[in-house]
Amino acid sequence: MKFSHWLFDMRRVLVVALLLSVSLVACKKEDPRWSEADKKSKEAIEAKKAAQESGALPTPEEGGSFNKFFPKDVAGFDISASQEKTGFAEYKLKKDGKDMAMIAISDVANNPQAAEKFTSATKKIGGFPAVDQGSTATALLVGGRYQVKVLSRSPEFGKADREAWLEKVNLAGLAAFQATK
Amino acid sequence: MSKPIFELVNELPTSGATVMSLKALDYVVPGEWQNISGFENMITLVTGESDPSMIQQIGERAITLYNDPAEGYQRAVWLYQTASSVGGKLGAAALANKIGESVSFLGFLEKLTPKADKAQAIDFGIKVSAEIIAYAKTNGIPGDGVAEFMGAVGDYGKESIMRLAALTCFDGLIPLGPDFLQKMEQFIGGLAPADLTSNPAFSAIASAIPGGGADGQLGFIQQGFSSIKGWMGNFVSSKGLTPESVVGSLKNFIDVSDDKLDYVAAFLDTTTNYFDYTGTQTVARRLIERAVAEI
Repeated sequence: MKFSHWLFDMRRVLVVALLLSVSLVACKKEDPRWSEADKKSKEAIEAKKAAQESGALPTPEEGGSFNKFFPKDVAGFDISASQEKTGFAEYKLKKDGKDMAMIAISDVANNPQAAEKFTSATKKIGGFPAVDQGSTATALLVGGRYQVKVLSRSPEFGKADREAWLEKVNLAGLAAFQATK
Repeated sequence: MSKPIFELVNELPTSGATVMSLKALDYVVPGEWQNISGFENMITLVTGESDPSMIQQIGERAITLYNDPAEGYQRAVWLYQTASSVGGKLGAAALANKIGESVSFLGFLEKLTPKADKAQAIDFGIKVSAEIIAYAKTNGIPGDGVAEFMGAVGDYGKESIMRLAALTCFDGLIPLGPDFLQKMEQFIGGLAPADLTSNPAFSAIASAIPGGGADGQLGFIQQGFSSIKGWMGNFVSSKGLTPESVVGSLKNFIDVSDDKLDYVAAFLDTTTNYFDYTGTQTVARRLIERAVAEI
């Protein structure tokens, strides 16, 4: 083989190799931070299902049963239902058409570890253990079972607003509902 | 099982034909849609949270919620993906979205076949049905979801309102003209169950459409269309949308010509997947909203 032909062949090999490596880099979307969580979640879903079937974990309440505890008419605010799933209901709070906050009630039977943070709660809201989470959330736990959380969606809606809105939820009603279970 | 949600969000392209076509509609729903990709970015955008340990917890909970088929989020993404691909995309569509910046309309022209009006109407009806069912799967409203969905459309925002704007413009106004709603009403109202069962787009998605058979499913599609018709008519008139104004804006982002509107429609249908793209964003947003509330 002539040197020039060899050189040409090598160039082709290099170009192909380069293209392959570029496309491999471009296609690589793996994210170890989340793929581990993805693997674990599948086991957790199965474990939760088994625990609920055996009665070791209570079956979550229907999200619709929480609707009546949310604040409905508050002057100056639009409050609308946003999501309603098993063990979960969420409402959106708007003011002048702008998202201000979300209010959610969730049954910790769906996610038992959510209750753990309340064991070290240092404050109470409406008589229930309450915690701040990150910079946008304040939550309390009713009867060890129902987590009520207010999440800021605007810088104009701060921690004091979250605490005030937690008290607008019918917490006593929710506690009475829990007591019937 | 399909891909995990973090992968779907991480893989949303940040350039290409779909992104360009959505940017061209920003003037219709200003500031609502954001060209955001990356799971972590999405968490921060939705929650406003920057604390790394919170972001990790939210992401893990969102992944778990998505992976549980009983929660409905997976089904919603499947609906958006399936309804998005019903138009019969060319293999080139994927390429157009990857390489992106220089998608040439003229280069595609000879490969394009404009859809017959009736097929366009069926595809439109299927997308509307997919939107209604995906809404119910994502937000968890029981029943057929049509009435509840129409109540919610008034509160549509962000990528959801962008998806409806794109449906209006790319699947209605551009291919069928300013009176697209009347035309579609005629076509969809006149459909027989056999028109659906012989349609590949319908077959792909039929298992998700309520109605217990083609007769009832046709009823669902017709009901879905007549529910959204009024909203869409108001949307077009309140925004002053015309095929010319939309194509005029598209020309700022994509190389299209305005003298062949049916070809522009076929070009968009072939090279973009706005329905799937914004649908994935919508489901991810709802998942994240729920995850942060549940942790």
